[in-house]
Amino acid sequence: MVHWSTLPATLLLYILGTVAATRPETFKEELTLRPLRDGKVISRFSFSTLLEGGVPRNPEKIDAGNIPQHYTLFPLALGQVLQEYATTELHLSLNAGKWDYDRWGYPDEQEVGTGAQLWAWIGDGGSSSVDERWKGLRNALAGLFCASIGSLDEQRTTIPKLAFAPEGDLPAWTLPHQLRHATLPSETVCTENLTPFLKLLPCKGISGIATLLNPHRLFGADWHGMSVHVTWHAERGVEVRLAFQAVFDPVRLSFDKKRDWSLQSIFGRPIGKACPVASASRIVVELPTNEAYSIDPQPSTVQDGKAIYDTSNIESELNLALRWPLESEFVYPLDPASQPPSPLSVQRTMAGTSQSRGRLSVSIRNSLPSEIQAVYLETMPWHVQFYLHTLKISNGGSARDDLLSDIAYTPPVPHGRPALFESVLTLPPNSTTQLEMEVMKSFLRYTEHPPDAQRGWDLPPAVLVPLADVLRAPVNGSEPAGRRARIYTRVLLVDLATPDFSMPYNVIIMSCTLIALTFGMVFNLMTRRFVVVRLKTGPVAENAAEEKDKSI
Amino acid sequence: MDWREFRVAFPLLVSCRLLLALTPFVNSLGLDHNHQLSSPTNSYVRLQEGLFLFKHDIDPYAGGSFYHSPLYLSLFTTVLPTSRFVSRIVWTMLDVLGAWALVNIWRERQSVVRTSRDTLVAAAYLLNPYILLPNLALSTVSFENTLQLLVLLYACRRRPSPALLLAAILIHLSLYSALLLPSIALLLLSSPHSHLANPKFFTAYRHPNASLSTLLSYIGECVLYSVVLCLCCTVVAGGWGWVEKTWGVVLTLPDLTPNPGLWWYFFTEMFDHFRPFFLMVFSVHLLIYVAPVCLKFQHDPLFASFALLGVLGMFKPYLTLADPGLFLSMYSVFPEIFPYLSHPLPTTLLHLHASLLLPLFHSLWLNQGTGNANFFYASTLVLGMANGAALVDAIWAGLRIAIGGKESEDEGEIAVVQE
Repeated sequence: MVHWSTLPATLLLYILGTVAATRPETFKEELTLRPLRDGKVISRFSFSTLLEGGVPRNPEKIDAGNIPQHYTLFPLALGQVLQEYATTELHLSLNAGKWDYDRWGYPDEQEVGTGAQLWAWIGDGGSSSVDERWKGLRNALAGLFCASIGSLDEQRTTIPKLAFAPEGDLPAWTLPHQLRHATLPSETVCTENLTPFLKLLPCKGISGIATLLNPHRLFGADWHGMSVHVTWHAERGVEVRLAFQAVFDPVRLSFDKKRDWSLQSIFGRPIGKACPVASASRIVVELPTNEAYSIDPQPSTVQDGKAIYDTSNIESELNLALRWPLESEFVYPLDPASQPPSPLSVQRTMAGTSQSRGRLSVSIRNSLPSEIQAVYLETMPWHVQFYLHTLKISNGGSARDDLLSDIAYTPPVPHGRPALFESVLTLPPNSTTQLEMEVMKSFLRYTEHPPDAQRGWDLPPAVLVPLADVLRAPVNGSEPAGRRARIYTRVLLVDLATPDFSMPYNVIIMSCTLIALTFGMVFNLMTRRFVVVRLKTGPVAENAAEEKDKSI
Repeated sequence: MDWREFRVAFPLLVSCRLLLALTPFVNSLGLDHNHQLSSPTNSYVRLQEGLFLFKHDIDPYAGGSFYHSPLYLSLFTTVLPTSRFVSRIVWTMLDVLGAWALVNIWRERQSVVRTSRDTLVAAAYLLNPYILLPNLALSTVSFENTLQLLVLLYACRRRPSPALLLAAILIHLSLYSALLLPSIALLLLSSPHSHLANPKFFTAYRHPNASLSTLLSYIGECVLYSVVLCLCCTVVAGGWGWVEKTWGVVLTLPDLTPNPGLWWYFFTEMFDHFRPFFLMVFSVHLLIYVAPVCLKFQHDPLFASFALLGVLGMFKPYLTLADPGLFLSMYSVFPEIFPYLSHPLPTTLLHLHASLLLPLFHSLWLNQGTGNANFFYASTLVLGMANGAALVDAIWAGLRIAIGGKESEDEGEIAVVQE
């Protein structure tokens, strides 16, 4: 009980403390719309909140109790998770669909692997280990985003060395930071994940460009994915960036087979009002080249073939529309593009009909005139195990084992740990490089199968990280420098042998019967005495006297 | 010259096996991946994978799919090349060595230099499909079987040091072979001759030099060899990780790849909270047979070893067809029990039944996709019954022979039953 006389002083101290703890926060939002050659439109929302001067929590001070957190724009729910598990950097993505690099090019949000992916750089030290905090982090995020991230357990967690470098800065603490990475390709993404996502935004989905995040339209898109990125930059502070990316097909949505689109036609609603707390808010539309088009309303500025709309003040409803007035009907371009949208193209397949083994084959096409070095990363749950001795690399039909170097391999542990295969691939110019490897499909306990066991298991995408930046255009304002681009292959569905799920009791009964029978018969022979019975003479009673013991 | 004579027939058999092994057709069969012929603990493909990792400075025991002993690693990285052609010759020679050992065990048992049955005994080993096919699949179970026969041969010849050294190596390769140690010790202390028809206490057939101190010295010697081998393995593997991944695996069964044995489906379908209990039951169950068999057949320890091999050939955790195959081939060393077998025909038919069903149902389940796991499980039960029938019949005949009566005029007039 606080004494009455001290109450004003306590209140004052509290208010002062609150003011002192509050750091300047800025919120920026951006929507990029990019029409594609095949009539589709890529839309990418990016909401970034910067906590200026914020620093990640040092894990060694994790026992010192909770630090009061007072934010105005920064998402508190996420801030609490980051504080609790002393996480410096965090990247979560939830995607559905297969990103088609060959037609859609390299995405603005690069984490496009199907399903859920979570990776975090966590400071070592303090009373709780990195793995304990990683577990807590997964479970907290699972609760926060209503996703099965909690099942990204030890059987899914890997520590790649090269492919997932920190995208921000890491504080120079005495103990190093450690990476944890996990993927769950079978995760499905839907409305229940979008609602908590919107709740983290300062204007929710009520105003600003977040108004356009209409679940009815987003989850009907050809591809959609959301991501959360937490990074720390020494000179700026902690930045949380929430992003949503979707690929729409206006031709499919239109009645007259036109590729014309507007905010109303794609998202089902225009932007009604601006988000008042956003310090910057804009819509960027990449304009078509060598085609007649009309864009309505007139953009605030046009720069490098991009129309930019400032949406920080909206007087009337904004329903942006891009039209191709000379086109009566959209004709799908059958001729290949003059230059491929993505200089690297990766195909990964699993061959073989047997449920006990298969053949993994990866073919990577480098259409650049120069040689590329790239990190190739496979994280494979133990359900599928590599036979590395069968790994063959060929380029243009001839074996080239020299193309693969710096192999780092962590073998899988059944029921425990996934395999990690990371190596540096040299991709000769203008050619296709083939990797082939035999794999073994494991046999699982009946309790380890998912409820829909016959569907098969989704295998996580492989990741290709070119060491030189060849994938993206050099000018890309919002992308932080020094980030390496990653290409995700498609996920694979592998058919694992299933036991009969109704059999546990039967198997126990039948196997035990066979064992008991054999055991019983052997011990019968061992313990009971042999008796000779004369068959032809006299009744049996007389023969009892003639019995001859042979007991040894 | 009679072609049935051992001097002529044995080289013929060997050349047949060599020809078969080197036929390119065998490679195209894909036997390496066959689950009946090689289990995770002795598969050639996994051995290759382990060797590859070992040569690339990745600890093969850090992961989960390599369960071979470090002795194989040292053997294949130093002495033996790993090319498939050479491997086929080496594996065939292993079987030839095994057959030679079996013939010599037979000769020791009869204490003669040459008999007319030698060729038959050699053929029973070299042409036994249960032995032949795993060998063509390059399963390292061929190493285990050959070592097992060499151990028995040296024990028959009463040469304790080689017998115990080979037994120690064998235990390193396959832990459950340790169950045969008591019968091998008895064999070293007595004689390999057939005393089945004349059962007496062990002391009656004891070797004059045998005493408790001899037994203790054997135990000490075997422990010494095992310790030295353990240290060698640790040096080769660079740590103690191999213990969990070789011996631990046969006790905890982490890999549930199908095999013709009884364990895999049982532990696939086992409730998680009962798993440790039943693992214990299945392991201890194998121990139960050792003392009774050794006691009951103390007058004939070679037969006791034979019966224990039958038990192992049925109940081993990672069973391959070569395990019952060794037991069946060893039948040829005990022709005296043949007249007393009570149901040889049903046993044969069960084996025939099982050997047809196993590959068929395996393929239906895993390759064609038209059957399910229960099909293959059912065929492993049939093989289990066949093995059980062979084992029970051998023990019955081994005990029944003591009463005799098959050659006498009593034939058909008496019946031997158990009280």
